[in-house]
Amino acid sequence: MLTVCPYFHVHQPHRVKRFRVFDIGNDSQYFNDESETDLNNRRVLEKVARKSYLPTNAILKELLAKHPEFRFALSFSGTVLDQFEAYAPEVLVSFQELVKTGRVEILADTYYHSLAFFYSLPEFERQVTEHKKRIQSLFGVTPKVFRNTELSYTNSLAQWCEKNGYTGIMAEGWEPVLGWRSPNYLYTPTGCSKIKVLLKNYKLSDDIAFRFSQQSWKSWPLNADTYAEWVHAHHGNGQTINLFMDYETFGEHQWEETGIFDFLRHLPTALLRHPDTTFRLPSETVAAYDSVGVFDVPHVLTWADTDRDLTAWVGNDIQKGAIAATYALENDVLQTKDTALISAWRKLQTSDHFYYMCTKWFSDGDVHAYFSPYESPYDAYIAFMNALSDLQLRVQHALSAQLVEKGIRDKKFARPKQLKQRMRKKAGVA
Amino acid sequence: MALKILTFGWDYPPIKNGGLGVACYGLTTELVKRGVEVIFVLPRTQDVDGDARFIFANKKNGIKARVVDSPLVPYLSSNSPLYIFDGDGSRRIYARNLIEEVHHYAAKAGVIAREEDFDIIHAHDWTSYLAGLSAKEASGKPLIIHVHATSFDQAGSKNVDPEVYKIEKRAFEEADCIVTVSNLTKDIIVREHGADPAKIVVVHNGCTELAPVELTPVLSELKAQGKKIVLFHGRITIQKGPDYFVRAARRVVDVAPNTVFVISGWGDMEHQVMHLVGALGLSANFVFAGALWDEERDRMYQSADLLVMPSVSEPFGLVVLEAIQRGTPALISKQSGVSEVLTNVLKADFWDVEEMANKIVALLRYAPLDRQLTEYGKSEANRHSWGKAAHTIQELYEHISTWFPTPKNNQ
Repeated sequence: MLTVCPYFHVHQPHRVKRFRVFDIGNDSQYFNDESETDLNNRRVLEKVARKSYLPTNAILKELLAKHPEFRFALSFSGTVLDQFEAYAPEVLVSFQELVKTGRVEILADTYYHSLAFFYSLPEFERQVTEHKKRIQSLFGVTPKVFRNTELSYTNSLAQWCEKNGYTGIMAEGWEPVLGWRSPNYLYTPTGCSKIKVLLKNYKLSDDIAFRFSQQSWKSWPLNADTYAEWVHAHHGNGQTINLFMDYETFGEHQWEETGIFDFLRHLPTALLRHPDTTFRLPSETVAAYDSVGVFDVPHVLTWADTDRDLTAWVGNDIQKGAIAATYALENDVLQTKDTALISAWRKLQTSDHFYYMCTKWFSDGDVHAYFSPYESPYDAYIAFMNALSDLQLRVQHALSAQLVEKGIRDKKFARPKQLKQRMRKKAGVA
Repeated sequence: MALKILTFGWDYPPIKNGGLGVACYGLTTELVKRGVEVIFVLPRTQDVDGDARFIFANKKNGIKARVVDSPLVPYLSSNSPLYIFDGDGSRRIYARNLIEEVHHYAAKAGVIAREEDFDIIHAHDWTSYLAGLSAKEASGKPLIIHVHATSFDQAGSKNVDPEVYKIEKRAFEEADCIVTVSNLTKDIIVREHGADPAKIVVVHNGCTELAPVELTPVLSELKAQGKKIVLFHGRITIQKGPDYFVRAARRVVDVAPNTVFVISGWGDMEHQVMHLVGALGLSANFVFAGALWDEERDRMYQSADLLVMPSVSEPFGLVVLEAIQRGTPALISKQSGVSEVLTNVLKADFWDVEEMANKIVALLRYAPLDRQLTEYGKSEANRHSWGKAAHTIQELYEHISTWFPTPKNNQ
């Protein structure tokens, strides 16, 4: 038996508009670009809905109806769910319909697609809880398997997940960590006993996500039958093939003209042609197989670039400076208890903002350039820092307003007492 | 067999007159190092730095008479007085005189081309184009025209000097190959002069790799007061956008009053710019430093927090490479050739004064930005050396020499 476990990651950030230094103190809207560029969040969402979410969901719905064995997982950031609600509610409905079949699992995540786990555990926990509530209210399900932003993973995160009742966690099946071992089995994270880690088969995943339309690739053009053969070749030396990729692979990263939709439409048929192959959800996969060993990641592992670490987000000085300044605001911003300020602060934690500041032009640069709506990493940094400076200012105003209010309140109660004391003194009473 | 190149230029270090001489020096030095034999022709006797063999056209005797007969002098009637200049190299204002000098230079170039033995002609900037054409006519050797600027850049508009335009157009038509210092310049000559894009090669300028020298800073008193220094270094003329610099400064001072703007350079708009500074109430924030060269210039680079090059049309922009190589971050206009090769600089449209001001303030406010642009900029500048440019030019020479396999001698 060989099972295939696909999971598609659905996410859009709230991109920061070209917020100029002159806007600090004058404009409290950071995410409302209305230009004809990719900084306009509504415009991007509507475009991706048209090119990817709606046509892909239609195909996935067909496939679920046609193949009772077909199943897959989705992970949503809260930021994309908010934007579906605001700009394209029909997309949200189409996702709800898929989940209703009971054969689409939703994964746990941080609400703001943040790297909070590495900067503030309490903030990370608040975001996971907020995400869980949102998923429950929109889809009526509770996630059991965890996936962290950019598939970032470390031993202590797995330990946290186990402690908090998750049965599985996703990670990159990266050779330097695995050694001779295969990503097509389940492993136990270091320091854990119950939770199992599901490893991405990055070769087979990236064949679809990155290489599908590359004409220089020796396997181009790829069809579903050939791809199914590659998967079937793992019979006898693997239990689960975990195909993790961005949902937007279908129709956005790989355009319709590349044939990606036809590929998707035919893939289940091709995979199921082998009698001993079927699909499993992540929670079913962790229940079905035993762990074959320990997966030990003392550092941070992600799914990005050739480095598979966090350097795409916090590799250079401007990225480190920006993320440090963001989390430095935590205590103050929470103390304001102002939901608008706290929400803006959390939206600024989304990892994409830091990704846009990446300057690894020469090795991985093309990928970053493609995904950035800014003309340069420095433009991204300046817009972000100006917005964050405005937020700092608003937080300071809110806190001083609190102090003034508190002062007035204290005075109200204090004054009669002081007056009494003064009168006593005057009267010569000790 | 070393290739011999007959090169025509207009000025050359140590004479200080802007980017052209610096570029010719950088390129020639590297070509000579790579075994190319360069015969460098200059119109006037002057001191020269470096290793090439130099010929000064004004030292050539007995050529005056030929000028009048020469078909290369279409604008001079037979009774026009020939302008003969002495050898002190004194700079003349860009005017009718210059056109005459250019024609005179061309006439001498023909004579030199008949006397010298070489494989290829290479003519730098419009003042040498006619010399190159004349040498080509005299020798039959292939001609490379090297475009460092066009009349459209100088004018900052379409209102170009018609005489210069005529020379450019003819040179681009008759040259065997055209080198431009950027895609921006290539696009201009294709669009405005109808140059054939098939014979244009883009070779970006470079900079001389140098070991950093720590100099005593200038303006230390201002810096001690915690003031930030923003530098404009270049000719004060319409092409370089000094007025946009002043207007951006106004916006910067609105939010960062502790900023001092230094203008280093000279030019025809100097008074106009000073008036603008006064009119915008910026007199206390501006320093006019005059033209600075060599060590004085480097001292200024090292003292400045940011160099701004707001050029309206900049074929390349060597000053940016020089500055970032010396550890000064730069904000440059997108309308510049250097912006095609640099990523670790800030960029804005020259007309977008708000955005320029936004970026100036950001650099002064956010220390990590300053740090990273300084560090990455330095190593990026060093990747764009004259050696790299000379390598491309040398390949071009070798390629062109195969078009004319048998050496022709015009006896």
